[in-house]
Amino acid sequence: MNARSSTKSDYLLLFRGNVWDRGLSPAQIQKVVSDWMAWFEGLKAEGKCLGGHPLEERGKVVSGKQRTVADGPFAESKEAIGGYFYLTVADEDEAIEIAKRCPGLEYGSVVEVRPVADVCSIRQRVDEYSTQQLADATA
Amino acid sequence: MSQSTEPTAAAAPGDISRLTDHLFRHEAGKLISVLTGIFGINRLQLAEDVVQESLIRALRTWPYTGVPKNPAAWLTQTAKNLALDLIRREKLFHDKEPQIIALMEQWPSESAEDESPMFENEIRDGRLRLMFACCHPALSAEDQTALALRTLCAFSPAEIGKAFLTTEAAIAKRLTRAKQKIRDEHIPFEIPAGDELSRRLDGVLQTLYLLFNEGYKASSGDHLIREELCLEAIQLASLLAEHPAGDRPRTHALAALMLFNAARLPGRIDREGNILRLKEQDRSTWNQAMIARGMQRLTLSAAGTELTPYHLQAGIAACHCAAIDYQATEWEKILSLYDQLLELDSSPIIALNRAVAVANVHGAQAGVDAVHSIERGTQLNSYYLLYAVLGELETQLHHFQAAIANFRKALELTELTSEQLFLSKRLAETERSSLQNVA
Repeated sequence: MNARSSTKSDYLLLFRGNVWDRGLSPAQIQKVVSDWMAWFEGLKAEGKCLGGHPLEERGKVVSGKQRTVADGPFAESKEAIGGYFYLTVADEDEAIEIAKRCPGLEYGSVVEVRPVADVCSIRQRVDEYSTQQLADATA
Repeated sequence: MSQSTEPTAAAAPGDISRLTDHLFRHEAGKLISVLTGIFGINRLQLAEDVVQESLIRALRTWPYTGVPKNPAAWLTQTAKNLALDLIRREKLFHDKEPQIIALMEQWPSESAEDESPMFENEIRDGRLRLMFACCHPALSAEDQTALALRTLCAFSPAEIGKAFLTTEAAIAKRLTRAKQKIRDEHIPFEIPAGDELSRRLDGVLQTLYLLFNEGYKASSGDHLIREELCLEAIQLASLLAEHPAGDRPRTHALAALMLFNAARLPGRIDREGNILRLKEQDRSTWNQAMIARGMQRLTLSAAGTELTPYHLQAGIAACHCAAIDYQATEWEKILSLYDQLLELDSSPIIALNRAVAVANVHGAQAGVDAVHSIERGTQLNSYYLLYAVLGELETQLHHFQAAIANFRKALELTELTSEQLFLSKRLAETERSSLQNVA
């Protein structure tokens, strides 16, 4: 996991399965909107959430050696990501506690909690890679 | 979606205050009506689906972007885009497509500062057409109320089920059947004209009255939804009263009746949910603004010579609302209104209510006699309120044994917990009085 245990660490909350139950009443939808908004605003005010965005359902998927471009991702799929929050919190437990408060859970949403890989170690790898490239080029 | 549904003028993020109570439900009801005008009454389900999808889109984006400056306009714009996409993609209308698209392009854009009065008229007409379609005599009374709640008020089948004490599945089935009937019977999406209007208007008023009473009935079912039902019925009646097609004395009378009764809803139960009798109610809890609106409607209902049961019932309710306390109630006036009401409608339930007025004017014994003089069918014989009324009157006469027997019978006949609690309380009080009397 994250090496910087003493400082804060970053997580993405990915919201999947936003195939909202068609039977949800307008009153229930309004309640989820309000609850979700309050949840997001609260996290931002506490400095625990740096931002977040919804994702449009439409999009393209580029794949393979042929660079095939297909429609996607998967408008009706439970796997599709509907949006994300970027969290900066003490540890994974806190990220999980926040995820548990997602107002969509009751209606079939799934929240994926993913640690953002430590920036330092990536940086390190990039640096190592660049050094290697340089070495190769100058060899 | 080809056109963006992004809000052009997002609010200061998190401004939830723009979401007024029931905003989604009310906007959905309006949009279903106008879209039915576009798609045709045979595609009622399609209109419902497009509206539902618009709300879901708001759900996907608003939590992040904040509530748009004009949330209603955002929802309208989104529904319009979805509908246009659907019309183009599905080739729903073939030759009529260009006209329909041109018509829809005239809908107000989301960035419009004010509501377009033309569109407001379109919504109003759409709602009235849908009201007449839902209340068509070819549909059963149950189908009419369920359909009106689903399409005009945008309640979900589950919510309607809660109000009617039945299951979501039963309501869904009823709605499917009603929509099928609309297609089979070629029920039109229009406001009737000429002689037909008057007849059909009666049907609409009756359904609205039924809808209201469903919500007003003693506290069974989900309390909040039932209260909303009353408010919706009032809203639809007001809409009807303000439209040339519905602006008749009887429409105003019905609206007045509903307002007077709804105004007194908060006083009917105490904090513990116990039923309170009229004389026990705290009249300061009655909604004075609603009573004032009711009085205005009552004045409008007096235009012309028309006198309907709605007029008389509104008059009776007005007497209760106008009395400062129970003692100040004008029972003579109420009794005279009941007398007139009985002439128009000889229902035993009305006769029972009249007996209460008789007791208040001429004393408890006269009330008991009035109850006994009602020609009783099986319906009244198994009506708990008959025995509850007799129990009260016999208590006043200190005929405690008779009162106890009547309260026991009433208790046997009611299935509602709140009423059982109330009657048990009255029974216990009477039994105590009976013992004291002997001692």
